[in-house]
Amino acid sequence: IFSLNIYILFYLPGVGKSCLLLQFTDKRFQPVHDLTIGVEFGARMITIDGKQIKLQIWDTAGQESFRSITRSYYRGAAGALLVYDITRRDTFNHLTTWLEDARQHSNSNMVIMLIGNKSDLESRREVKKEEGEAFAREHGLIFMETSAKTASNVEEAFINTAKEIYEKIQEGVFDINNEANGIKIGPQHAATNATHACNQGGQQAGGGCC
Amino acid sequence: MSSVPPTKTWWKSKKTVKVTRSYPTFPSLTAWEEFRGLLRVDGEPNPGVGLGVEEGLLCQKVHSPEFNLFPDSVVFESNFVQVKRSRNWIDIYKASYTMALGVTSSVPCLPLPNILLMASVKWHQGQSQTWNRPSIAPNIILKRILPLKFVELQVCDRLQRILRLRTVTEKIYYLKLHPNHPECVFHFWTRLVQILQKGLSITTKDPNILVTHCLVPKNCCNPSGDAKLVQKKLQVSHPSESLIQLMAKGESEALSQIFADLHQQNQFSFRSSKKLETNKDSSGKGGHEEDSIPCTRDLRWRDSFMYGEWERENPSGPQPLSLLSTLAASTRPQLAPPIG
Repeated sequence: IFSLNIYILFYLPGVGKSCLLLQFTDKRFQPVHDLTIGVEFGARMITIDGKQIKLQIWDTAGQESFRSITRSYYRGAAGALLVYDITRRDTFNHLTTWLEDARQHSNSNMVIMLIGNKSDLESRREVKKEEGEAFAREHGLIFMETSAKTASNVEEAFINTAKEIYEKIQEGVFDINNEANGIKIGPQHAATNATHACNQGGQQAGGGCC
Repeated sequence: MSSVPPTKTWWKSKKTVKVTRSYPTFPSLTAWEEFRGLLRVDGEPNPGVGLGVEEGLLCQKVHSPEFNLFPDSVVFESNFVQVKRSRNWIDIYKASYTMALGVTSSVPCLPLPNILLMASVKWHQGQSQTWNRPSIAPNIILKRILPLKFVELQVCDRLQRILRLRTVTEKIYYLKLHPNHPECVFHFWTRLVQILQKGLSITTKDPNILVTHCLVPKNCCNPSGDAKLVQKKLQVSHPSESLIQLMAKGESEALSQIFADLHQQNQFSFRSSKKLETNKDSSGKGGHEEDSIPCTRDLRWRDSFMYGEWERENPSGPQPLSLLSTLAASTRPQLAPPIG
């Protein structure tokens, strides 16, 4: 079993980070969510290329006061979802700064996916899809628009990020023996926890090990 | 209490030492004085480990390669059962579900913990919930890491051994110490609450420097009194105050941001649900939403949060830290009055 650490990053509240996590792990949408203070965790098992992979997701608070702590753990992330809200231009305008911050404090190989969330609110859209695509192209990111409310592309966002990490592992870009990369090849007993985490997320657990 | 004969501790029992050192259970201690006799001596086992409050399941999880968080910091932890208020306290979840609560430091040299850890613990059916290193590990699922400065921890019901944990976002948990923990463990938590509120002997004694740890004040809904007092005190010129104010500035800004965020989120949630509310025609709903996040109407109380050296995330020099010894350093427990 691979264990991958994936961060969900953003520096303004209300873009839907926690809702994305809840939709991915529990397959449900909670319109009003407590503001994230510190870090909240979620986990789910997925299968890529016949391999059981546990995604350990860190839902990080955007507050500057806690960022000094979370920043120091960016290096332990194999991937990150950088989320903005398509109905709020301000959340898109500062992406460059925040992307620099994420890259500065993370593993240089970290896979970053840019997420334009709330795609269900088309009538209130302030950021065109093309703008998101262009930003992602310019900065070498993967891009998707998602809706945590309708679950549109939520699975794909996490799984595609994991696939990208997995490909880098296959290519030897990531040193899987270095756990500081956010990748861990779990021992057999990891299956117990992973299975529980998976069940907790309402998913079917796979019992195998790669 | 002093007349109680010394308890035969778990590691002094030669016949059981091998078993208990590998899989120590909580000794059946009931008095603080008894624990005082267990303080660590070089070469002897750490009593905190024996009590399950140090190097416990949560600590192992947090330090494991999966998280590798705060690897050099001690974790003080215990198991709790989440309860809710009724005529009597009622368990919220079934018996196989407990919550592990712990405190640690982002930097080991901090004199006080600054991080709160919350995890759910799923025990296997029929498994003893008191074991520190069980042969079959229960499922520990780390749920949240919270900066302690955004949390208020209080002793809620001393007799029932219940803590009240309130976050700055007004999430409230009532946590009953697991019945298998000995009484002295609750004394530790009580002592921790005191330390978090009042600091330690090594922290400043300058009465002009207000050292208030918690960001959720008791008088948040009635800020006029203390806020005025604080402002008055701050007008007194004092070099160290300037320093403290400067140090506190960052936190103050963080708070401003959080509450701005809360307002923004409130407005946003309100905006999002406006249509729904219109359909429901529920008058006064907006007011209710404002109420759901207290302390946001009048933010003057934020000015009272000044921080001392002990709360800095990166202190200038190394300072001793052993959470358990810090807790045990008190001559005897001074129990805070229950709030509930």
